[in-house]
Amino acid sequence: MLDGQSLVGKEISGCEILTKVAEGGMGAVFKARHKALNRIVCVKILSPSLANDKKAVSLFLTEARAIAELDHPNIVNVYNVGKEQGYYFIVMSFIEGQTLSSMLKKERVLPIGRVLDLFEGVLKGLSVAHEKGIIHRDIKPSNILITPEGKPKIVDFGIAKKVDKEKGSTKTTELAGTAYFIAPEQALGKDIDTRADLYSIGASMYYVLTGHFPYNGKNTIEIIQKHINEPVPNPVKLRSDLPGWLGLALQKLMSKNPDERFATAKEVYTHFAKMRAEEQLRVKKMQGRATVDLGIESSLKISNEQESLSSSSKNLGATEFYRSITARQTQPGRSKNETQMPKLDDLASGAAAAVPPKSAPPLAPTMELVPEKNVQATVVPAPTSTVTAIHDAKPTIKIIFKLLILLPLFLGFAALVGYVFFSLGKICSAYVSDSMGFFGNVLAPLTVGKTLPGQLFYTALSLIMVAAIFAASAVKAYARTTAMLLALAAASYLAGVFTPNVKFFNASSMMEYIFSPEYYLCFLVLAVAWTVSLCWRLNRSVPERVFGMALIVLSSTLAYCASSLTITPDLTTVSTKILFTGAILFALLSAYYLSAKAERAIILPTVCFLAALSCFWLYNISGLAYRTQTTLNTLVSTIPMPDADAAQKAQAKAQEEYLKISRPGVFKAIGSSKAINYMKEEEKDALLDDALNKYAGDLIEKEKYPFFIQLLKTYYLVGPSKTAMKIWDYAASYPVENFNRNAQTNNAYFFLVMLLFIMAGLNCVGGILFKEDDL
Amino acid sequence: MSIFDIEFAAVTDIGKIREKNEDNVLISSDLGLGVVADGMGGHSAGEIASSIAVSVLAETIRKINTETLKIPETFLPKLAPTERKLLMAANLANAAIYSTAQSSEIYKMMGTTLTGVLFDKDCAIAVHVGDSRLYLLRDGKIIQITTDHSLAMEHVRRGLLSKADADKSKIQNVLTRAMGIKKNIEFDLLKFPIKEGDVMVLCSDGLYKGLTEQAIADILTQDKDFPIVKTCKHLVRQSNEKDGQDNISAVLIKILPAHKLTFGQRMRRFFRRSK
Repeated sequence: MLDGQSLVGKEISGCEILTKVAEGGMGAVFKARHKALNRIVCVKILSPSLANDKKAVSLFLTEARAIAELDHPNIVNVYNVGKEQGYYFIVMSFIEGQTLSSMLKKERVLPIGRVLDLFEGVLKGLSVAHEKGIIHRDIKPSNILITPEGKPKIVDFGIAKKVDKEKGSTKTTELAGTAYFIAPEQALGKDIDTRADLYSIGASMYYVLTGHFPYNGKNTIEIIQKHINEPVPNPVKLRSDLPGWLGLALQKLMSKNPDERFATAKEVYTHFAKMRAEEQLRVKKMQGRATVDLGIESSLKISNEQESLSSSSKNLGATEFYRSITARQTQPGRSKNETQMPKLDDLASGAAAAVPPKSAPPLAPTMELVPEKNVQATVVPAPTSTVTAIHDAKPTIKIIFKLLILLPLFLGFAALVGYVFFSLGKICSAYVSDSMGFFGNVLAPLTVGKTLPGQLFYTALSLIMVAAIFAASAVKAYARTTAMLLALAAASYLAGVFTPNVKFFNASSMMEYIFSPEYYLCFLVLAVAWTVSLCWRLNRSVPERVFGMALIVLSSTLAYCASSLTITPDLTTVSTKILFTGAILFALLSAYYLSAKAERAIILPTVCFLAALSCFWLYNISGLAYRTQTTLNTLVSTIPMPDADAAQKAQAKAQEEYLKISRPGVFKAIGSSKAINYMKEEEKDALLDDALNKYAGDLIEKEKYPFFIQLLKTYYLVGPSKTAMKIWDYAASYPVENFNRNAQTNNAYFFLVMLLFIMAGLNCVGGILFKEDDL
Repeated sequence: MSIFDIEFAAVTDIGKIREKNEDNVLISSDLGLGVVADGMGGHSAGEIASSIAVSVLAETIRKINTETLKIPETFLPKLAPTERKLLMAANLANAAIYSTAQSSEIYKMMGTTLTGVLFDKDCAIAVHVGDSRLYLLRDGKIIQITTDHSLAMEHVRRGLLSKADADKSKIQNVLTRAMGIKKNIEFDLLKFPIKEGDVMVLCSDGLYKGLTEQAIADILTQDKDFPIVKTCKHLVRQSNEKDGQDNISAVLIKILPAHKLTFGQRMRRFFRRSK
């Protein structure tokens, strides 16, 4: 706290600091020379950290001045107190000599007479201080100095301790007072008076006389607890030559209840003096008859007044005398001096009344918790939080009720949605033409600028349905159910558009085709939707990841099966092999990203998953694509295509203005040298049809002619690369076209509708069962 | 890391009369850690002790997490990894304060309390020494999880003082255990399951001197729907108005819904999450 070296050699209050003697938490003690008096003094300096505290300082000064007023031979003299150079100081007399505790280290126990002499002095000094209202607070053998002349002097009056205590809120790990000698009320933090010092006197005497602390323990807390709790030990048990009255006096001093102690220090030393005098008298009386060599500290001195009086009256011999001592020791309570000295039994019961018995159960500091080092996980009675636990309590019936009402309602609504959209699709099926392709057909009602009878009505109805779906989801937000219903609507519409001749929800012959590519495609739609929804989720749980991986495998298999054609994949080309390897690789990657990188990885598994499916698909249709390409190549090489002449080119140039509409195509066409590029559409078709009839032969079936005419036109007009793309496009959509074609017979659309219907129903049930709030 | 989403907030205030703030708080959502330390000692030693405590604790946990620091295998091998991690960090923090205290005269008497919570899966593990406190508010009931290492509370524990007496006692400020006082100290290690909706309060003694347990619970319940930073400030402000004799610090921790749930909860979530 203080830099000792910086103060050495300095002068404070006319004292030249010589050396540092000791240092404590509250300040440092220096040996100094008082210049004017030319004597060695002791200077104590308050720690600067406390010096900032005004309250602490004022207490320090008040109490130091009070002690300075005490001029007593048994109290260390205070000469001066004040502040100088920013330091608060006390100048005291410097005492050569040793403390009582260091004396005790040399001799294990001190003679009883000597101890009584010393403590008489201490008590006298203390008495004077107490009269001034000063409480020492920390009486202990190490605070009792013994001058070379053998005079005791009390040092270290509780100035600093008091300061510390009154500071109150400053945290500390030190208790004001030393654990071995602390009074119970002080240890409990109650208000204390001068009698707390008497307790410490008793404890110190106990220690000095027996060589043992009254209470010992593993740590400070334990010792303090014993001071508060345990019955006062009997010092006579430890030192058999201790006079009985002294043992009882110590026990009285160390009573738990201050009221049971001696009232003042003066009372203590007068009691001591009286008892010693009586003893002396007794010894003198004894000397006439007894032949025992008493010695200075012999056990004869122990003789209890009761025994000695009775023995003297009865003129008992020495032998009997000793026997009676033994008897007294075992029954120490039998004191003649009962008016003054309480019985030990009383003491014990007094102690018991003052504090709860040791076996009293410790007060639990918290409601349910008894947090101990070894208590783990048992802290709070954890409520079992399963759904049933939450719902079981009352609403089981409510749930059944809800299921009975809401589920049919929902399924009815779903069926209605399906029917409305199917009807709309059926009306719109009139627009369907082979040339428009899948999306063209689906969007035909919007692109063809006319309406059919009933179309408007059903469109309006469908829109109302969609609105109803969204309204329902807005009231009770289930996006999953909403999505399901929308998918159902879409599937129903498709069923209507592409299979208008099938009755609504015709489920016949479904089982026959359950293992056909078309049905696989239905399953695939669901599996993909589910997988993507799992991929597209943050912080997937372990079961979710495992399930996701299983779905990836399932989807891949379904994609493979759904796209598989009668034409086997073309394994001669490298790209096919790459496609297959890629498919496997992407599937593995998506599974990896879905499982390993659970945090934040949502795009990667989704992309990989879709890539895997595409690769499987392309791999399966590659056979068809290559075969078509090969056929086309053969056709191109066999069909003679005349070059354009100058007239045709000039004509085209003249039409340039008109052709501007589709510039890129036109420029390419103009650059081309084939005559076909400069023909009108009908001429082109006629030319190619003729060519096919002439050259195709067995190469392609008759019904494929229009498709190949389209391909050849693309080939000549736009180029081979675009044609290749068109071929792959055709091949890739072949399974879907197959689907539409076969749906007329195998009801695949309705199978899809049914799957969605079932899923939506399950969703609804799940929503009712596992949802937290009421519907 | 915890399977729960956890929100943290921390506020520290010097109080009305103190010249220095010797409290230190730390929250780290990536470590899943909340700490309060209340320093003691003259000059600025208290501030230093508490700041060493929180920084060394957090830094050690971070190092162990990133495996730049390994826990010796002989270090309490019977405990769970997270418990070992926390205890290891607390021990290092104590050693750091102790060695700093020994290094200079100015810091000689310094020490600090430490109360920290580390979250792991579905559990909270608290390390505690001194008289800062950890409260748990669950289902509207507040519970003090930690036991004060103060002489007064020690007496209460053994039935020598009533809790009411202890609150008025003059030995309230006397700690029976603190960091930095000894080379090796004993820490309380407490592990308890957490659940969705739990609110925890880590606070220095300044807070609970101004507010009773019930008052804290009331503020927490009443501010349930506010951001927890606001609630945390509210707590500190209230305590300061009522007492303010000491530095006031509070760390507020709120357990948000878990990622990992029971089957039922998972199903419920499965259907609810797509709102």
